[in-house]
Amino acid sequence: MSNNEPTRDPFLELVESYALGSLDPEERASLEAHLAAGCAECGKALEEARWLVSQLACLAPEAGPSGVLRARLIETVRADVANNVANDEFALATSRAIIPLWMWGAVAASVLFAFYNFYEARSVRQAIRQTQAALDEQVDLQKKSAQELALARREAVILTDPRSVKIPMPAGQKDLPPLQATWHAALGILVSGESLPLPRDNRTLQLWLIPKAAGSKPIPSLTVRPDADGKFHLLVQNPPDSQGDTKALAITEEPAGGSPQPTTTPVWVGAVTGK
Amino acid sequence: MFLAVFTPSESSGAPPDVALVRRLLQRDVNAFEELYDRHSRIVYGLVLRILQQAATAEEVVQDVFLQLWRNAAQYDTSRGPFLPWLLTLSRNRALDHLRRKSERQRRREEQADELPAVVAVPDFESCLDEKRRALRVRELIGELQPQQRRAIELAYFEGLSHSEIAAKLQEPLGTVKSWIRNGLLKLKEGLQSTA
Repeated sequence: MSNNEPTRDPFLELVESYALGSLDPEERASLEAHLAAGCAECGKALEEARWLVSQLACLAPEAGPSGVLRARLIETVRADVANNVANDEFALATSRAIIPLWMWGAVAASVLFAFYNFYEARSVRQAIRQTQAALDEQVDLQKKSAQELALARREAVILTDPRSVKIPMPAGQKDLPPLQATWHAALGILVSGESLPLPRDNRTLQLWLIPKAAGSKPIPSLTVRPDADGKFHLLVQNPPDSQGDTKALAITEEPAGGSPQPTTTPVWVGAVTGK
Repeated sequence: MFLAVFTPSESSGAPPDVALVRRLLQRDVNAFEELYDRHSRIVYGLVLRILQQAATAEEVVQDVFLQLWRNAAQYDTSRGPFLPWLLTLSRNRALDHLRRKSERQRRREEQADELPAVVAVPDFESCLDEKRRALRVRELIGELQPQQRRAIELAYFEGLSHSEIAAKLQEPLGTVKSWIRNGLLKLKEGLQSTA
């Protein structure tokens, strides 16, 4: 190394692994001491490394939480707001109840009356909240029904639109039934089948889009398990813009949660013949 | 500069995350709903990947968003964009949960709790940039050597240290350190060249 080269801070080598949380305790402690000493260069590098590491979340397969979770959270949050309002009013009421001792007898009745009014008001508010919660529940149910209806309509159009491309997906094993995929350029890919055996353990089935471009890796898509009756149903609402870039669809068996790249041989494969 | 270039874009016309977080401080339920609708899928996907169980993953996602609602002030807007902060919080929560569980508990829950049919992303347009970046991240990580990729996944999704990864993969500690650092640097360079 030339003497004229600037000396690189050796701690910079550690920041990515620190952000990832994989440093062993000794290295971690030494870097933390270095950061605590105020090294601006490492501090900035760590900020960037934290962002970089957060991008690894993109490796997780796409999945959405249930609508029940959303409804539960919103209900909890609304209840928080309502409770805070009630607590604030209670605090206000009690602060007004601090009265000089010599006036206690005179104001006691007023205070009691104020509390009575406060509890009455609270009961009314509680009744209103309960009504509001019931109303919200109905609205949520209606929203959910509307979403399900929209999804069903979308699937119906995918299946019936003459512009949709039908993609038979025969099974590579004789004892397995075939799957049928239908690809609508604007509305998505629908894959369905019946009488499928459940994958063993917690494993799941994962759809892959095989690009035409030489050397390109399979693009991971959704994971789903057949239901207890062996029905398999999967809707990809956001396929690539052009079917012409995709050579085939394939389905493999993967560990729960899916994989960034296939780990098993495809069980079902269908050639894409659309534009 | 790097952060400025790769800060996730938000839909035109929609308020930025930071503005929504500020509204959380005023107890604005609508802002909470918007943040949840915007980010719950990626948070859930990450947590589910770490915990492998849908019911447990939903519990953790609920904790994360309730923490956001009740302690929104913990997010310091001067220290970077919101989503990486939220993902870091979610990952830490999920890994804490994973570490707390005994192996026996895990096995019992795995038998009782199966993954549900996964729901597709419902709003493609609003997630376009996010999805393009996700594809790019997958491509770049997919280009790494399988063992190198595995080392990064073990660290990120299972919270293992360099030593633990070296033992698990039966590789020298120095090799594992190089794999992880070089892999992350390659990801960084790849994302920079995409911008």
